[in-house]
Amino acid sequence: MSFNLSALAYKNIRRKFFRSMAIAAAVMVVAATLFSVTTVMDSVETSLARGTKRLGADVMVVPAASESKAMASLLAGEPSTYYMDRGIEEKIRKIEGVKKVAGQLYLKTATYKCCSTGDMFIVGFEPDNDFTITPWLSESLKKPIAPREAILGRSIPAYTTGSSFQVFGKVITIIGLLEATGMQFIDNALYMPIDSFKGMVETSDNGTFNIFDRINNEISAILVQTDPEYAPRRVAIFIESRIEGVKAIVSEDVTASVRKQLFTLLKSILSITVILWIMSVLLISVVFSMIVNERQRELGLLRALGAKKRDIFKLIIAEAAVLSMAGGLIGVSLGGLFLYLFRGQVKAALNVPYMWPQPLNLVLLVLICLCASLLTGTLAALYPALKSMRMEPYAAIRGGE
Amino acid sequence: MLEITAVRKNYKIGNDIVKAVNNAGFKVEKGDSIMIFGHSGSGKTTLLSIIGGLTRPDSGTVKYGDTDLWSLSDNELSEFRNRRINFIFQFSSLIPTLTVLENILLPTAFNKSGDRNRNFDAKDLLTMVGLKDKFNAYPSQLSGGQQRRAAIARSFINNPEIILADEPTGDLDEETEAEMLALCKSMNVDKGITFIIVTHNTDIAKQCNKHFVMNRGILTPKAMG
Ligand SMILES: Nc1ncnc2c1ncn2[C@@H]1O[C@H](COP(=O)(O)OP(=O)(O)O)[C@@H](O)[C@H]1O
Ligand SMILES: [Mg+2]
Repeated sequence: MSFNLSALAYKNIRRKFFRSMAIAAAVMVVAATLFSVTTVMDSVETSLARGTKRLGADVMVVPAASESKAMASLLAGEPSTYYMDRGIEEKIRKIEGVKKVAGQLYLKTATYKCCSTGDMFIVGFEPDNDFTITPWLSESLKKPIAPREAILGRSIPAYTTGSSFQVFGKVITIIGLLEATGMQFIDNALYMPIDSFKGMVETSDNGTFNIFDRINNEISAILVQTDPEYAPRRVAIFIESRIEGVKAIVSEDVTASVRKQLFTLLKSILSITVILWIMSVLLISVVFSMIVNERQRELGLLRALGAKKRDIFKLIIAEAAVLSMAGGLIGVSLGGLFLYLFRGQVKAALNVPYMWPQPLNLVLLVLICLCASLLTGTLAALYPALKSMRMEPYAAIRGGE
Repeated sequence: MLEITAVRKNYKIGNDIVKAVNNAGFKVEKGDSIMIFGHSGSGKTTLLSIIGGLTRPDSGTVKYGDTDLWSLSDNELSEFRNRRINFIFQFSSLIPTLTVLENILLPTAFNKSGDRNRNFDAKDLLTMVGLKDKFNAYPSQLSGGQQRRAAIARSFINNPEIILADEPTGDLDEETEAEMLALCKSMNVDKGITFIIVTHNTDIAKQCNKHFVMNRGILTPKAMG
C-alpha cells in the first residue's frame, strides 16, 4: 500500500471547488478568445490566399466604373454583373507583358428572369483561352467542353455530373464540378462556354429577347496572366494607359491591402487578448499565493515527512497545470462553438468568404491554444511554487501557526 | 548513534536576539528514550527541529553515526528524514483533504526507492491506535484525541530509527494517554526505536531513561528521583 503525490494534487484541486473553478475559468476566457481570434485570422489568410489564387489571374480588367463591384466579388464573393466592349480583349492581348488573356461574361438569372433554375450566377468563359476555371475541376474533363454543356460550382448540391436542366430556355448538361472554395461567386456559379448563349432566350414582362443579341459584343471581365518578366503592377499600368475606361486590378495588391486592413483590426483584438492573458496570469498568481500561504504548514509538514523541494514544486505546478489544461480545453471548445454559432456574423463583419482552417491548421491552432493555456496556469503558479519550495520546513510549519 | 554537539540557534526579533538554543549537546544511544521538559518558549521545539533536520543550527553539529546531518544536501536531508526520522508534532498535523489512511501513508509518497518493505503496515498501525473503523474518515470527522492517535500511528510508518515527539499526548484523555504510552514503549523496547520526547507528563517521564531540562535555550541533564 502506498500513496502518491498526484493523488494529493488531485485532492487539493477538489478542496476549494469554486476557487479551482475560478482559476480554470480565467484560463478558459483567455483560451476561448485566443482560439477564436487566431482561427479567424487564419481563416482570413486562407480565404485571401485562396480567393486570389483561385482567380488564377495576375490582373483582372473590368469597366472602370465597376471597380468597386469587381472588388466586392473578389473579396466578399458577392456575384455582380457589369459589361464592357468585347473588342478590348484583343487590344489587351497586344499589350507588352501580357501572356494569356481570357474573357468572362457574367449573367445573373434573376435579372434575366430564368424560370427553371431560380437565382443563379452564370459565367460565360472562353474554353480555348481559359486558364482560370478548368484547372480547378475536381476531375478533369474527358473531352473539351461543348456549347450547352456546363461546369458547376460546389454549393449547388441538387445537381451532379450528368444532370441537366433548363437555362434561358435551353437544356444544359453538367459535365464537371469545381472544387469548393468558400467564395460565393465561384461556388454558386454555373460556367458555360460563351458560345452557349447563342439562341438562348429570356422571357420578361416586356416579351422575349434573345440574350445573345444583347450581349453579343460585351464582356464582363478580362483575366490576364502576365509574363513572368513583367511585374503585374507594370502591366496593369500599361493596360490602363492604352485603353480608355478600364480598370486593371492587380490581385497581389488586393490581397495586400485587405490583409493590411483586416490585420490591423485583428491585431488590436489580439493585443486585447494579450492584455487579458497577462491579467489572468497575475490573477491566478495572486490566487496561488493565497493557496500556498494557506497551506504553508501542510507544505512544511510534507517536507518534514520527506518531501524534497522538487516534490513541493511539482505538487503546486501539477495543480495549476491540471486546472489550466481543463480551462484551456473548455475555452477552446467554447471558442469553436462561438465561431460556429456566429459564423454568419463573423463573415459579414470581416467581409471575407469565411472558412474554417484546414484540418491540419485547426489541429495546430488547438494545440497552440492548449499550450498557451497550460503556460498561463503554470507561469502564474511558478513564483508561489518556487517560494514555497525554498522555505525551510520548520519556518513553514511555524509560519502556518 | 546520535551525537549533538554545541548546537546554537539565535533568532533576531526586532533589535533583540533570542538565544532559542544555547550550546546544547548530548549523546543518544540506540533504544534510548529521552525526555526534555521546560517552560514554553525555552527552545524545546527549536532543538527538536534542529535534530530532525527541519531547521539549520547557527553552529554545532548533529551526527547520526558518521553522518553529519547538516552537511547533507537538501535532497539528501529530505531522504534522511523520510527514511530514518519521524515526528509527532505539537500541533494537529493531519492533512485535511486526505483520509486517515492516506495521511498515515503520506511518508511513503516520498520514498521512491525499493526499501518500502521495511515500512509498517498502515492498517495494522491504525488498528493498534484504535482507529480500525476510521481508515476512510477525514481528519475533520475525528476528535482531537483521535487525530493525535492517527499522528502517532504515522510516526511509526517508515519504521524510523528515531521519533521526535513534541508534546505528543497533549490532548489525550488519561486512558488513551496510557495506551499510547504503552504503544510507544513497546515500539521502543521491541523495535528499538529511539524516542526524544518533549513533555511535562510525569508518567512519560517515568518511562524515559534520560531526562533533560531546558531553560532559556540552555539544556541541562536532570536526575529523576
Ligand atoms: N522562527 C522563529 N522566529 C523567531 N523566533 C522564534 C522562532 N522560532 C522560535 N522562536 C523563539 O525562540 C524561542 C524558543 O521557541 P520554541 O523552540 O518554540 O520553544 P518551546 O518549544 O520550548 O516552547 C521563543 O522565544 C520563540 O519565540
Ligand atoms: Mg514548543
